[in-house]
Amino acid sequence: MLTPDEWQALALSLKVSAWATAVSLPIGVLVALALARGRFWGRGLLNGLVHLPLILPPVVTGYLLLLSFGRRAPVGAFLEATFGIVFSFRWTGAALAAGVMAFPLVVRAIRLSIEAVDVRLEDAAGTLGAGRVWTFLVVTLPLILPGIIAGTILGFAKAMGEFGATITFVSNIPGETRTLPAAIYTFTQVPGGQPQAMRLTLIAIAVAMAALLASEAVARRVARRIRDA
Amino acid sequence: MRRLRAMTAAYALAASLAPGPAAAADLVIFAAASLKNALDAVAAAWTEETGVTTAISYAASPALAKQIEEGAPADLFLSADLDWMDYLGTRNLIDPDTRRTLLGNRLVLVASDADAAPVTIAPGFDLAGLLGDGRLAMADVAAVPAGRYGKAALEALGVWGDVEARLAQAENVRAALAFVALGEAPYGIVYATDATAEDNVAVVGTFPEDSHPPILYPVAVTAASAHPDAAAFLDFLAGPVARAAFEAQGFTVIERAPADADAG
Repeated sequence: MLTPDEWQALALSLKVSAWATAVSLPIGVLVALALARGRFWGRGLLNGLVHLPLILPPVVTGYLLLLSFGRRAPVGAFLEATFGIVFSFRWTGAALAAGVMAFPLVVRAIRLSIEAVDVRLEDAAGTLGAGRVWTFLVVTLPLILPGIIAGTILGFAKAMGEFGATITFVSNIPGETRTLPAAIYTFTQVPGGQPQAMRLTLIAIAVAMAALLASEAVARRVARRIRDA
Repeated sequence: MRRLRAMTAAYALAASLAPGPAAAADLVIFAAASLKNALDAVAAAWTEETGVTTAISYAASPALAKQIEEGAPADLFLSADLDWMDYLGTRNLIDPDTRRTLLGNRLVLVASDADAAPVTIAPGFDLAGLLGDGRLAMADVAAVPAGRYGKAALEALGVWGDVEARLAQAENVRAALAFVALGEAPYGIVYATDATAEDNVAVVGTFPEDSHPPILYPVAVTAASAHPDAAAFLDFLAGPVARAAFEAQGFTVIERAPADADAG
């Protein structure tokens, strides 16, 4: 049904988005906790920084990534020299761009569910002798699970659709950084490429719809289980 | 009264933002990204001379051609190759009588290292060896004119196969240039005029003129344009002020052939 090139773009998109989501998730939980519960200097600044990719044009985010994580850029050069991690023109760079773009959505969803948690439940666990970490793991975490799932799926869908930051940061290399949206873009740029662009567009719509429906279903199910518990 | 005035001001603002031909509207120009520096200067000189303001949208030629096809309100189109102008021509989206070939350009190899040694660009030259494990930055080789000319040149020189898997293709030629200027890619293929505009790259070689189709910039007034000054701007582009600005950026100004003049 799909040509090898189209499969390659779809598979790459799934890989990039999976990594982007997997890495942003634990960091997202911590940041959401800090924003929802923390009372510290610079909280507003952290909130602003987290949301910046949501507000900035994606090309600007990509350019900032290029300026900070490029080969000669401060962070990029450090990571390459210390850990051998290279983002430049690699799929890892595409995953970084997708992760940064998806991060605000992940944090928002989790933060909302943390703020909805009844603090008295956690207090009760505390009076029963549970430590703070234990309370978080057995009381808070199950309560915010719907938020985590919603954030995961929204973040994944956003990562699948990321284009502007990716092409600016790591170009459009087949098999390496040419994700589904970049492949669609490439086809729209060639006279006569419209039919292929349309096929890939339909696939992108199907993936996004599936992710959203799955997110709704899972969130409903979790909510019901929590209510019944 | 004050409220009325505020409402009038709001209405005037809304009217000025609304699309459509108005007497004081900007002359909207869609131009290939590689024209930016020269055309900005030309447009500033034009506004100073005539008082008519311009709004210029720079992007890759295919993106602009598609936008015009979708009804974008452009008055003039300056393409970086003949194909995308033909694309609009066959769809009757430009005024064929106004079309003319304005400029010529060359392709160069640029390096991110200011001390990079000059490269002799000849059949079979060792481009892959120069790149090492780095990538060659080019504009999209399937769609964007700068990329297509570059691919044609590399094919003619017999080195395309060596570097095809080592490309970093950018959305337009200026983005490819940025990859080299920032040191992401050690080498790139861009127009001579782009290299002039960027201080952080070194030109290490010029592609032989016969290794690729001639790089020509056609210009035309769009069929949908109703701006009264569109034709006058076209003449200004061919005049002495514009010529100096284009040549300062490294373009060749194409003399209008007599046959061309008859057609116009």
